[in-house]
Amino acid sequence: MSEIIYEIKDLKKYYEINLGLFKKPKIIKAVNGISFNVKKGEILSLVGESGCGKSTTAKLILKIEEPTGGEILFEGKDITKFKGHELEEYRKKVQIIFQYPYSSLNPRWKVGKIIGEPLKLNTNMSKKEIKERVLYLMEKVGMHPDWYERYPHQFSGGQRQRIGIARALALNPEIIVCDEPVSALDVSIQAQVLNLLLDLQEEFNLTYIFISHDLSVVEHISDRIVVMYFGDIVELKSVDNLFTNPEADYTKKLLSAIPTIKD
Amino acid sequence: MLLSVKNLKTYFYSDAGVNKAVDDVSFDIPRGKTVCIVGESGSGKSITSLSIMRLIDHPGEIESGEIIFEDRNLLKLSDAQMRKVRGKDISMIFQEPMTSLNPSYTVGYQIDEALRLHQKQLNKKQRFEKVVESLELVGIHNPREKYGEYPFKLSGGQRQRVMIAIAMACEPKMLIADEPTTALDVTIQAQVLDLMKDLQEKKGTSILFITHDLGVVYQIADEVVVMYKGNIVEKASAEEIFKDPRHPYTKALLHSIPIPGVTPRKSRLDTVDENVDYLSFPKEIR
Repeated sequence: MSEIIYEIKDLKKYYEINLGLFKKPKIIKAVNGISFNVKKGEILSLVGESGCGKSTTAKLILKIEEPTGGEILFEGKDITKFKGHELEEYRKKVQIIFQYPYSSLNPRWKVGKIIGEPLKLNTNMSKKEIKERVLYLMEKVGMHPDWYERYPHQFSGGQRQRIGIARALALNPEIIVCDEPVSALDVSIQAQVLNLLLDLQEEFNLTYIFISHDLSVVEHISDRIVVMYFGDIVELKSVDNLFTNPEADYTKKLLSAIPTIKD
Repeated sequence: MLLSVKNLKTYFYSDAGVNKAVDDVSFDIPRGKTVCIVGESGSGKSITSLSIMRLIDHPGEIESGEIIFEDRNLLKLSDAQMRKVRGKDISMIFQEPMTSLNPSYTVGYQIDEALRLHQKQLNKKQRFEKVVESLELVGIHNPREKYGEYPFKLSGGQRQRVMIAIAMACEPKMLIADEPTTALDVTIQAQVLDLMKDLQEKKGTSILFITHDLGVVYQIADEVVVMYKGNIVEKASAEEIFKDPRHPYTKALLHSIPIPGVTPRKSRLDTVDENVDYLSFPKEIR
């Protein structure tokens, strides 16, 4: 449990915004020198409001964006220096589940093809093996094998999110970045997807980096929580500690704003 | 009672058949109170509110029923009469503050529009003062400067405040809010909810609040209407719904959200069972 897989040191990502030909570009500090660790097998949540840099941090970890400064050490190696074969291997180990199950699936592809795509690109499996693996994954995420030949539009939001989860699991990843995986879903469906994510984590020994603005969900699912505000980390604590003993003013404000059913 | 919906049926017709989006729904909205309609997507909660405003478009049709607003049946009014009700007696706030303002007009102009249409006795200067006042009321700083701003310059929370300002400009007797805070951050959501409660206290407005977030319902509702597949399955005061939910669907819905400090961490949550037809249980209307 305590083995560290990510060590993030003084990570920075700045964006330049051009204001015009003769004006100095404005610099947006999306992530402004943050440091934290991710332990193997844990669920680490990044919380904060829109624009606080939580999604940018996730993009940097996924190596979709390159940092302006700092290091991301994955199992001791700096991912910003990964190239070629090493990068390919890294990409297999780290997967993502997107927020919107409506726009993250190709509407012209059948479910089988969507889930099988990572296998086709990254492994030498035969067509038959791929189909077997896809059917196995569909079973794992609670989908009926008959749905193999269906298109995404034939499913509800919750079912589509299951397709996205199956696709993320295809290559046996170690880490899954979940970018607001339930915020676009109905409450009752949210519960199903959260249950599924917890079950899968246990079964496949996954590490989740969970991004959310819903603190009730975060409290339920996380081991540790990183609270971000304007590109900085204001608090990083175990879930127990954060909810019973918030220190930063911003965390207190955030916690008091959750509309809960408890008085 | 300010507004009573009686046996409302709104159907949508297509080649595939009839979709009974709202199927025989009745409830009341008392003066100065907040009624919440809770339900999942497709439960008919938004169609119910659009039916009250008579904003149902082809292929939808209000089949039957009555919507009594201060002794008048809104469904019997002519289009011209209905236009006078909308924005003046009943106004509406929509879910997406990003898309429900017109990007080509200034914020002030858009608030002013409601006054131009419904308060013709006011002159230009009086209207300007009223717009500034309503911007102030919804907590926008420097309202005089913000009058001339275009929506793109405002954040989501500020835009939703402007939407509320437009809705409240003519001091309507009823406000329909269709998921007004769903697209906002939690801290901004808390501010907007406070603002709505505040305005209700000051002006005595009745609110019909549509949401799927039970936490929000707990914060603001006096009465709760639970909708499922076009029907009301349970109707009770907010206190009763949360303390003693009776309908199996309401129970399932309440148990499907984790409550910090109550739900054991990482436990598997109860879910609404897709294979159960919750309509087969007797309705719990108190």
